[in-house]
Amino acid sequence: MGTPEHSKPGGPEEVRRLADALRQVSAGRRLTFMEVCGTHTMAISRYGLRQLLPQGIRLVSGPGCPVCVTAMRDLDTVVALARLPEVTLATFGDLVRVPSSSSTLAAERAQGADVRVVYSPFDAVELAATRPDRQVVFAGIGFETTAPAVAAAILDGARRELTNFSVLSLHKTMPAPLRALLDLGETAIDGFILPGHVSVITGSLAFDFLAREYGVGGVVAGFEPADVLAALVRLAAQREPAVAIEYTRAVRPEGNTLAREVMSQVFEPSDAEWRGLGTIPGSGLVLAPAFRQFAAEERFSVDPGPSREPRGCRCGEVLRGLIDPPVCGLFGKRCTPEQPIGACMVSSEGACAAYYRYRDIGE
Amino acid sequence: MCLAIPMRVAAIEDQMATIESQGLTQRVSLLLVPDARVGDYVLVHAGCAIAVLGEQEATETLDLLREVLAFEDREEAGEFEDHGDS
Repeated sequence: MGTPEHSKPGGPEEVRRLADALRQVSAGRRLTFMEVCGTHTMAISRYGLRQLLPQGIRLVSGPGCPVCVTAMRDLDTVVALARLPEVTLATFGDLVRVPSSSSTLAAERAQGADVRVVYSPFDAVELAATRPDRQVVFAGIGFETTAPAVAAAILDGARRELTNFSVLSLHKTMPAPLRALLDLGETAIDGFILPGHVSVITGSLAFDFLAREYGVGGVVAGFEPADVLAALVRLAAQREPAVAIEYTRAVRPEGNTLAREVMSQVFEPSDAEWRGLGTIPGSGLVLAPAFRQFAAEERFSVDPGPSREPRGCRCGEVLRGLIDPPVCGLFGKRCTPEQPIGACMVSSEGACAAYYRYRDIGE
Repeated sequence: MCLAIPMRVAAIEDQMATIESQGLTQRVSLLLVPDARVGDYVLVHAGCAIAVLGEQEATETLDLLREVLAFEDREEAGEFEDHGDS
């Protein structure tokens, strides 16, 4: 108390000061920084941070929105599961409107499928416990932030010996796609704004390889405008590439070791397909042998058939940071948040949705 | 998706915390942060506490979250409606 509103930490005065600092340290250089977290994508557009940047600095979005990077074939499997008459499909709200090859969960629900939006995987466990007559399938998406919570819910389901609860794990891990992007070498990236809440679990050490092996720096950032700008100042000021933490309020170099143990007790790494990046070895999480009885893909045999990408959708290039959303011919014309064609326009964290919603102006 | 919100632990029973935030209470698993104590602020995501925060750090984040929420409320009320073509 007693501090004027505008000069509080993170307030407008600090934001202005950081923007000035960024101008000084970047000294007119042309630098491209990539964020790889949907919440950062949204924050950058919402707070209009691009308008505060010096001219040479460009911000691009990477594969950081879990809904957006989910492969079409996996979305088709989710829809096919929802169509089974005995199944109650529970998932996070983000997934409900995402177009699969031929439908969405929302459309299936309108036609009678039992699709429930839950806020936590524990709600799905609870649903299974109260509805023994239904097979509750939780469609799990998300990175390391979310996977431990889903693992904890599966442990809860196991403890309660629920036989009508299962999980379709579409979880993915974050360091792998950054490696894949750098290996592709098609996007010139001078540094990464690293995901804050993924790093709460993984720790910043999980990203050290960026500097060590690729010579690209990274700063783990929080989600306020001042956090993002402070991360950019630190990236621009780096003389030697390094991985550092700006979001010290919540992130430690070693992360949450216990959460990672729970995650690796319940899940094991698998190859996973990413929209825009293809199959990345070891970047997915499927149920470990001891928990296989909770794997929805084994309990139900569904054949989603061949998958189809929407014509003209350039989501894949957006996710690799190759183009800004307005470059896509569908953006804002045939593809809008009300009538989305691609996944990046559906999720509020998708780069296209963030650009559209806040009428973000690129460079 | 990866949004996590600081909340204060009001009570603990069997690794489940009762959490209060903005006048609402909810139950949250402490499996991933067993060291959390009553009165601590924890970062909550998908029904799980994933980190314990210092009080000052938590309230700073909460202040900023409130600003964001206030912005969203006004936005929903149409105050920032943009009718121009983009």
